[in-house]
Order: sequence, then C-alpha cells, then structure tokens
Amino acid sequence: MSVLDLPRLWRPETHQALFRRILDATARPGTLADTADLTEGAPAALAALATFCDNTQTLADLTGSLGATDWAFLDVARAAPEAADFILADGATAPGFTPRLGTLDLPDGGATVIVTVAALDGGATLVLQGPGIKDSRSIAPRGLAPGWLAARARWCADFPMGVDFVLADGQSLMILPRTTQITGA
Amino acid sequence: MHPVDTMGQTREGAEYGFAFLDEDAKRELRRTIFKAVCIPGNQVPYASREMPIARGFGTGGMQLTLALLGPDDTCKVIDQGADDSVNAANIRNFFALTCPGVTGTLRTEAASVIQTRHRIPELRLRADQILVFQVPYPDPLVVVEPNAATRRRMHGRADYARLWVKLYEDMVAFDEITISHRYPTRINGHYIIDPSPIPRFDVPKLHQADCLYLFGAGREKRIYAVPPHTDAVPITFNDVAFAVESFRDKATGKRHCCRRCGADDSFLDEFLDDDGARVFQCSDAAWCDMRLERLEAAE
Repeated sequence: MSVLDLPRLWRPETHQALFRRILDATARPGTLADTADLTEGAPAALAALATFCDNTQTLADLTGSLGATDWAFLDVARAAPEAADFILADGATAPGFTPRLGTLDLPDGGATVIVTVAALDGGATLVLQGPGIKDSRSIAPRGLAPGWLAARARWCADFPMGVDFVLADGQSLMILPRTTQITGA
Repeated sequence: MHPVDTMGQTREGAEYGFAFLDEDAKRELRRTIFKAVCIPGNQVPYASREMPIARGFGTGGMQLTLALLGPDDTCKVIDQGADDSVNAANIRNFFALTCPGVTGTLRTEAASVIQTRHRIPELRLRADQILVFQVPYPDPLVVVEPNAATRRRMHGRADYARLWVKLYEDMVAFDEITISHRYPTRINGHYIIDPSPIPRFDVPKLHQADCLYLFGAGREKRIYAVPPHTDAVPITFNDVAFAVESFRDKATGKRHCCRRCGADDSFLDEFLDDDGARVFQCSDAAWCDMRLERLEAAE
C-alpha cells in the first residue's frame, strides 16, 4: 500500500495540518481547532491521537471506542491510566484514576488527557484565564461531569507538575493546558 | 526529478520526504512543542536529529520549522535581522529544497513562520504568525551552576537566588547589570528563560505578544516556548530599572537614526562605511525596506 492509498487520517500531510491547528489551540486555550475537513469524519479525539502517538508512546483508552484498526495505525502501546502518556476518557463519567503528573524536574512527563464531551458549546459557562488568553475567555462544554474539573484542579495544583487536557467533541478540539485557570461564571 | 542544491547542481539520489525529517522525528518534535507550550518557559528535552549543517548553526530552529511547515506556509529566515546573510540564506534554500510548496519571503508581514537568529522583527507579529528562535545556550542558570541536573532541579523549584546574586554582584562591581543580550526573562511568574541572544531592545516584545514564540536549541537538545498573551518579565531589582539600548550619541544626547530610512525607533547596527565614517542602519532589513517603500510612496 502506498502512502496515497492510506485513509486521509493517517497521512503525514494530515498530521502536519492537524498539528498546526492543535498548536494554535494550545497557544490560545479555549479556542476551537476544527478537524472536519481533514479527517473524513474520523472523531476529533482520534485525530489528536493520530497527530501525537507512535510506538514510543503509551495510551490508555478508557472509552473502549478505539477499534483494532485504530490501534494498529496508532502503533501505540497500551498502558494503565496511571502510567500512560496519553489517556482517552469519556467526559460523562468522572475520573476514577490519577494520571502521571510529571515531576518538578521533568514536568513535561505529565500525561495528556483527551476527554470526549457531547459538545464544546451549549453547556454551563466556564471562564478561563492564564497564558495564551488576553484577559479572559469563556467556554461552555456540554457533557463534562463536574468531577472532571475538581480532579483537574487537584492534578494541576502544584505547577509546574500537572496534566494537559484536550476536550474533543465530534469534529473539533479545545486544549486546556495545566496553566489555564478555570472558574465557573 | 531530483532536487537542486543551493549551488544550482542537481543531486542524484537526494530525494527526501516532505520537510527532510522522517515522520517519527517530526511527531516527537510536535509532542515536545506541545508540552513546551503547555508549560511556558520549561526547557523540554528532545532527541535533536542530525541536520545537514553542524550543530550550533541553527539546527534547533531548523528542526522546529521543519516540524511546523506545510505546503501552504510562507517562510522567512533572518540572521541578526537580515534575510541575506549566509546562515539565513542557506537555511531558506534548504527549506525551498526540502519543502516543496512552501513559499519563501523577505517580508515580515507575508510570513506564516519566521525562523530567526538573534532578533525579533520590528513589525509587531500577528496571532497567525509563529517566530522560531535558533538558540545556542538554552539555560540562563549555566552562568551560576555547571551541573545540568542541579540546574534542572533549580528550575523546577523556581530557585533563582544565585542568578539574582550574579545581577547584584554586577551592580556592586560595575554599577549596572552587564548582560547585554540573552537577558534572563521570567515567563508566567515561574521559569526564567534565556531568550537566545536577542538584544535587550527585543526582550519587551516577548511580553503579552499576539504571536507564539518557539525556541529550539539543537546542540543542547532543548525546546521551550512563550505562548501569546503571557507575562515575560526581564529580571531586575525594584530600584534598578530594566533599560534597552538607547543609541544616543554621547556628544549630542540625540538618538542615532538609520542612514537609509531615517528610523529613530528601530534597533540599529553600527559600522564603518567605506570612508571610515561611523554610521548606523536598521538591523531589521525588511523593516528598513518597508519604511523606504512607504517614504517613496508618500513622495
């Protein structure tokens, strides 16, 4: 199979384009990265994993939504959520685990948690502040169990240690780095 | 079809994938960049790959740029503000060779990705632009602590006491802080970074910018970032204000102007002209050209 025969989600040029949108969204927490035109309908959460994962990384899929083909293309090792580099979780259920938070010396060892939600708008308003945000920015993800925000606050309490969140609905992503402070409206 | 190198010669068998690096290398760079932006100012280690130029000549910046570029990007490369010096011209040629579709430009406003050695462009960068720095020495603590593991521990705990002592000793010995470039700058209230050898003049541009700043040290294998709208404060004392280069003539007290475009607010290069006279000129060539164009259009 040549590169041209690959589904679009798994092509190098797609990963480059996805990365630039994810990078923009990371630099500006709370803004949306739209993946619809790049992935032929693949879920945005899978697009984020495709951008970052390879055989040097570990992934915990707590949603059970990844199929055998996805695992094969991701070429990523499975791990428990307590040990994984990447965690894919369902936003409707509050987390029952503690991810890797990194260490003071190597805080970049903190996990990246990809949380799927029903939608990235239409929910209760949350106000974001921190690096990448001029003054403040409001978001309203729908279908995020309250336990998630409490857990995130706990995990990110000791900067520079913490975890970085990717919120994903069907076709778009939002990044909440550990530096983003979240308050209810 | 074979790529043509900078000397205009066709090189047999020199076919590379888009952006030279293999996909695994690019993916690792992208993961590192992601974590660097998430933890502003933190030096994230990465596996710096071999580049076709020696480490220390901008390989960190090149790897960042190659991990970013896509075929619809417009790329500018500057060295001390100039697009036509040998380091910038060759790196730009390399991108043209290995990234088919990427447009090269000399104009700051036209670029989506700008790779720089030691300057931040005079024109304020927009939110849709990324500035990539080539970094020779990523760690500001190296002047006070030789052991890398100890420096890492000091960074994690934001323990910068010995850096403050160094600045204090400067004040005692010389009545001023003697760091002219690579001025230690605190990012988001925690990490202090070495902003690469940009002059003091450029340091305030890091603070609450619209664009994303990425720093790549190829030899030292570190990547770090300053996201947009992030505090970047050069460290100094309450009673010693941070000062940028003034370019004042000691005799007249007036600020020197660019001899080409007349700018009295840009960072100036000082040199001797063919007659041995001391002259000043904008260091940022694109800025100087843009001002000249505007002046000509106004006439």
